[in-house]
Amino acid sequence: MSEQTKKWRYGVKRWIVLALFIVGGYAAFGRNTMLRPISPVVVLPAEPISPNSPITNTMLATLIADVVLLLFAFGAYRFHKQGNLVPNGLYNFFETIIEFLWNTVEGATGKWAKRIFPVVATIFLLIFFANVIKLFPGFESIGWMKEAHKAPAYAPVKLFDLGGLPVYTIDKGRPVEVEAHGEEATAAAGAESEHGEAKTEPCHACEVVPFLRGSATDLNFTIALAIIAVVMTQVYGVWALGPSYFSKFFQFGALVNGGIFGLINFGVGFLELILEFAKILSFSFRLFGNIFAGTLLLSIVGALLPIVIPPGLYLFEIFFGIIQAYVFFLLATMFISMALVSHHGDGHGEEHH
Amino acid sequence: MNDPVAFVAGLKLLGAGLAMLGAIGAGVGVGIAASGGVQAMGRNPDAANIIQTNMILGMAFAEAVAIYALAVALIIIFAA
Repeated sequence: MSEQTKKWRYGVKRWIVLALFIVGGYAAFGRNTMLRPISPVVVLPAEPISPNSPITNTMLATLIADVVLLLFAFGAYRFHKQGNLVPNGLYNFFETIIEFLWNTVEGATGKWAKRIFPVVATIFLLIFFANVIKLFPGFESIGWMKEAHKAPAYAPVKLFDLGGLPVYTIDKGRPVEVEAHGEEATAAAGAESEHGEAKTEPCHACEVVPFLRGSATDLNFTIALAIIAVVMTQVYGVWALGPSYFSKFFQFGALVNGGIFGLINFGVGFLELILEFAKILSFSFRLFGNIFAGTLLLSIVGALLPIVIPPGLYLFEIFFGIIQAYVFFLLATMFISMALVSHHGDGHGEEHH
Repeated sequence: MNDPVAFVAGLKLLGAGLAMLGAIGAGVGVGIAASGGVQAMGRNPDAANIIQTNMILGMAFAEAVAIYALAVALIIIFAA
């Protein structure tokens, strides 16, 4: 209970932070236009990681998130196997997350929690890691160069050679007019920056195609997760109720002996069927919209006012990444728990508890 | 009107901005959900966990409308 006031002393970290602020201010407003942040080129679909590559940058980012998640999980598992009684930081982290998720799932589904938990927790962990990893430096900023077709384009500047591979940056102080008929020059110019032919510049008016981009800024990722969640909902429904699960959608019994209200119930059943498909849409667009808007916000505000605001926005984005992962997880859990219980109590009068 | 391409591009941006009017309703909805949730938690702090879960669920549903508006706006700008 004895609360002592700490002796105030000069720390080191605050000076590091201050120095970083000054460096950032110099980069943003100093005389050297090469360091200035440029306004982003907004591209909706994922782009290939090299010219003519089938692998897109969001796929690469998802793979990295997978690998990091697996490493963390195996680390925690090995720690658990060693039988240490005092948990370390990583183990604590995982225990907190898993316990929180487990309590949520068990509160919603009761004795089914053990069978449902792996699917929804995997979805949560993947989205969580993908959303946090996309905030690391290097995402959306390092890439290969290609000829730009739209207005914000700048001249390339060679920095240094990295083992025969020339490294370029683009100079904000030298905006370049985009050629209207630049279609045929694109592929060849883009390829050269990769293969190190240092005699010419890779492109005339350049834009950067990043190697890494946040997984959830690609609709393919979010739609895949949404389809998995919705299909697993049906699977658990059939597992719990048997074939009578589908009587929720096709209420022929109500149609035969229900009179006019039976007809209404039959129509409602079809609406339920449409609702299942609407779930895919709502799941995927919610995650995609939030994360894509966040990325857009970060890059646009970073270009407009690059010095004070972005750290706060990064904090905001970490928060939103976790919240969106949790919302996806929570909605999947709720839909599955709704599919587990029999839909209409009036027809059979049976109790599921 | 002299340059039809620029005219259409401008109309596209206008349309995208108008599409985001849908965010008004979502903002009001999220605000109501948060208000109700916080009031309930203030009256019954023991039930804070359940209330918080349901509040976030409701906010997610309300927010979905704004996300649809955003998707429409993005489609208007980039895809249409």
